[in-house]
Amino acid sequence: MAGYRVVVGIKWVPNTQAVRFDPKTGTLIRQGVPAIINPQDLHAIEMALRLRDAYGGEVIVITMAPPPAVQGLEHAIGMGADRAILVTDRSFAGADTLATSYVLARAINKVEREIGRVDLAVFGQETIDSSTAHIGAQVASWLGWPYIYYVKQASLSNGSLRVVRQLEDVIEEYEAKLPAVISVLAKALRPRHVSLLNKLRARTERPIITWTNKDLGLDTRCVGLKGSPTIVAKVTYLPEVPRLKKVHKAENPREAARWLLKNLLSDEKTRDLIARALWGEGSA
Amino acid sequence: MGDVGRKVPERFDVIVVGAGPAGCAASYMLAKSGFKVLLLERGRGPGSKELYGGRIYAQPLRDVWPDLDKKAPIHRWVTKERFSFTWGSRVVTLEYRVGRSVSFTTYLPEMAKWMADRATEAGALLVDEVVVDDIVVRDGRVVGVRSGTDFLRADVVIDAEGVNRILLEKLGLAERLDPGKVAIGAKEVLRVGEGAINDRLGLSKKEGLAWLVAGDVTEGVPGGGFIYTMKDTISVGIVLHVGRAVEAAEKGFLRTSIHGMVEKLRLHNYFKQIWGDADVVEYGGHLTIEGGLGLVPKKLYMDGFLVVGDAAGLLLNTGYTIRGVDFAVTSGKLAAETVVEAFNVGGPTEENLSVYESKLKSSFVWRELVKHRGISEIMSDPYYFTVLPALLTSLLKKLFEADYEEPTIMDAVFEAASEEDISIAKLLLKLASVVGRV
Amino acid sequence: MSTLEKPFKIEDLLQRNIWDVDEEPHIEIPLDDQEGLKKKALALLCPAGCYTLIGDRLIFSYEGCVECGLCRIITPSDKIRWTYPRSGKGVTYRYT
Ligand SMILES: Cc1cc2nc3c(=O)[nH]c(=O)nc-3n(C[C@H](O)[C@H](O)[C@H](O)COP(=O)(O)OP(=O)(O)OC[C@H]3O[C@@H](n4cnc5c(N)ncnc54)[C@H](O)[C@@H]3O)c2cc1C
Ligand SMILES: Cc1cc2nc3c(=O)[nH]c(=O)nc-3n(C[C@H](O)[C@H](O)[C@H](O)COP(=O)(O)OP(=O)(O)OC[C@H]3O[C@@H](n4cnc5c(N)ncnc54)[C@H](O)[C@@H]3O)c2cc1C
Ligand code: SF4
Repeated sequence: MAGYRVVVGIKWVPNTQAVRFDPKTGTLIRQGVPAIINPQDLHAIEMALRLRDAYGGEVIVITMAPPPAVQGLEHAIGMGADRAILVTDRSFAGADTLATSYVLARAINKVEREIGRVDLAVFGQETIDSSTAHIGAQVASWLGWPYIYYVKQASLSNGSLRVVRQLEDVIEEYEAKLPAVISVLAKALRPRHVSLLNKLRARTERPIITWTNKDLGLDTRCVGLKGSPTIVAKVTYLPEVPRLKKVHKAENPREAARWLLKNLLSDEKTRDLIARALWGEGSA
Repeated sequence: MGDVGRKVPERFDVIVVGAGPAGCAASYMLAKSGFKVLLLERGRGPGSKELYGGRIYAQPLRDVWPDLDKKAPIHRWVTKERFSFTWGSRVVTLEYRVGRSVSFTTYLPEMAKWMADRATEAGALLVDEVVVDDIVVRDGRVVGVRSGTDFLRADVVIDAEGVNRILLEKLGLAERLDPGKVAIGAKEVLRVGEGAINDRLGLSKKEGLAWLVAGDVTEGVPGGGFIYTMKDTISVGIVLHVGRAVEAAEKGFLRTSIHGMVEKLRLHNYFKQIWGDADVVEYGGHLTIEGGLGLVPKKLYMDGFLVVGDAAGLLLNTGYTIRGVDFAVTSGKLAAETVVEAFNVGGPTEENLSVYESKLKSSFVWRELVKHRGISEIMSDPYYFTVLPALLTSLLKKLFEADYEEPTIMDAVFEAASEEDISIAKLLLKLASVVGRV
Repeated sequence: MSTLEKPFKIEDLLQRNIWDVDEEPHIEIPLDDQEGLKKKALALLCPAGCYTLIGDRLIFSYEGCVECGLCRIITPSDKIRWTYPRSGKGVTYRYT
């Protein structure tokens, strides 16, 4: 194959826009919530597709998820990815980021063995349901490849990668030897839409492979819940902040901001509430 | 390794745009006859963009799917029809206990998915998440569809895009939708619970109720409210005549938003007994056809092209029933039959496809539309949505809210009329014209 | 009193639906020249409350749009760019 082979990791996440409070019990309703591709991963797919369009090669989208995630893989192929791999197994359930990244890294190794050399692995910045931003870095560690995050632009030449990454106050340029791992800055690009012919291809050619642990042959002590050393020690819910329902008709934005600031800080109760919401009970 | 399947086809016998009832029926019938069919849908899965009232007439669907009663996701068979007039806190309700149920309630997305599944089982290919941008014409022939920069060829394209017929407009077969000929609907789904629905409405298992409401629920704008029972939810909504509603809003007569009206209906003292404080689990809106023949396009066919369902303007709204889904399915079926026959006699030429129009015109769909064609004028006349409910509720107030002496019916009519400032002569004239029209 | 006994604001109703909102708007309406727009009608009749009148100026946000098509047909066609969301985005009904 001429060009580069790029693997993109996407996560099939619950559509958090559809998760809401039950007005009677005040608890979260997650029931029947459908899933979507983690929105930031669309930017990762877009970056990979741009690299392929510029240099040739192929884009393989990969997800570790239960079987309904095929829908998301079809969407990715609809956007133009060449093929997709669903990594799924009962024993993978309950994984923390360590176990997830381990499976993904081993799956990338298997791509190298069975499909061919992988030049680049691309991830999203973070997920909307867990947002640890661990996966990219951990996959890079398992593979022993260099890792660059917050990537805004990427180009390839002669076996090396050049990227522009954007931090809060600086823009940096890096060069790294391939193979490498990057994660793409949130909202860096404009993800392309699903196209008719690509989606048709997803539905007819079905370029989607499924790998279970039979195919990967990983030690079950290293995957899923068993392979996950992270434990949730304690969960604290922040107190709900009651609204004061003040309405101010501002003359202009500057005046509005001044009014807001004055009100937030001059009222003792409001100041307390802000402090408690930020630092917990008893901090005022 | 993997399940690498068929090659990507470069053309189809038939491309159907829109996986609503019309498109699914056409795709199913054609696939069953061995045609290579592609069904295109813009939503995420069939039905995902569908919103309607709540009730479907069964027989026309059985003509396409004889196993409908056993296999379709039917929630309840309608055994009670109610009609209410509202005026302030006063409500007049008429109830009819149905002898033989001919219609059932269901969610349209669920039903569309079922129909699409029948089509794909029969061999049609469904591709979703794709918006068709154009129906492509070359040398006077429809040759396929375009989406973005992609073109896909087909011998026949069936347009089942629904009421917003953007593609049909682009083809030049229809004008931009006339606000005077469409209505806007908004609707909530309330989670009530199966037992509570049965108890509160006196229904037994699988029995359903369809309820239409006219009067001040639409604040004088022609239109009405609707209430349908699903298995464990109740649908509550408002429909407004768009032309009239725009007029009333621009002149400042209308002050409540359409979602505000739905909320008022949900919280209306009389109706809310039925759902109590059930939670709202979904809310949405959709355009619909006002009814009559006013939106049937100039032509229903072209060389390589047919239009079906709402896109073809086929919907009947009499004020007491609304029939869109069964009309859509029937037109889809007739279009499919036409295509099959056209291929038997030389291909989908304009002449061979014109048979669709004659099939449609000799079907019950057309007969119904012709029979009720006067209704749309009544349905857009604010008179019937203000004067009638006001008079009726006032009349019954006279009859039933007497402390000592009850008036005679005639006295009550005249008293009520003068109280509501209604001219009896004008009322009689209007009523005579209704009778004349229907 | 339960919140269910008071009318919901439109945002509270829309929040009950499933959304996958596109980052790019699928409807655009000019904010500078509002001549010829049926402003009151848009504000009252858009079922998703996407149009808000502030004084006599109309503000539009596409995020809660349920793709009904009403604004397209009551607005002069040179004053609105109206398309369906692509890639299956926008609202997804589960019941209705
Ligand atoms: C203590 C703990 C317990 C957990 N228990 C469970 C559990 O029981 N069940 C459960 O389902 N989850 C569980 N999780 C969540 C799960 O570990 C993480 O969601 C998952 O490992 C990915 O991490 P993340 O979402 O933070 O991804 P991030 O690191 O924020 O994601 C960065 C990028 O990595 C890629 N990526 C992330 N996940 C995948 C994937 N699966 N496949 C391909 N690419 C991917 C995407 O490109 C994404 O944009 C748990 C997490 C923790 C911290
Ligand atoms: C408020 C309301 C209440 C109603 N109540 C009832 C009732 O109780 N009973 C009844 O029988 N009827 C009712 N109707 C009417 C009924 O919903 C319609 O008549 C029926 O759905 C029409 O079916 P159709 O297949 O022609 O179009 P639709 O059901 O509208 O289907 C069109 C499909 O095409 C898709 N589509 C559109 N454009 C494109 C494109 N460019 N590319 C790809 N896909 C596209 C759409 O997403 C949609 O899935 C009601 C309608 C409304 C709005
Ligand atoms: S299409 Fe309908 S829901 Fe969307 S903005 Fe226009 S009127 Fe509102």
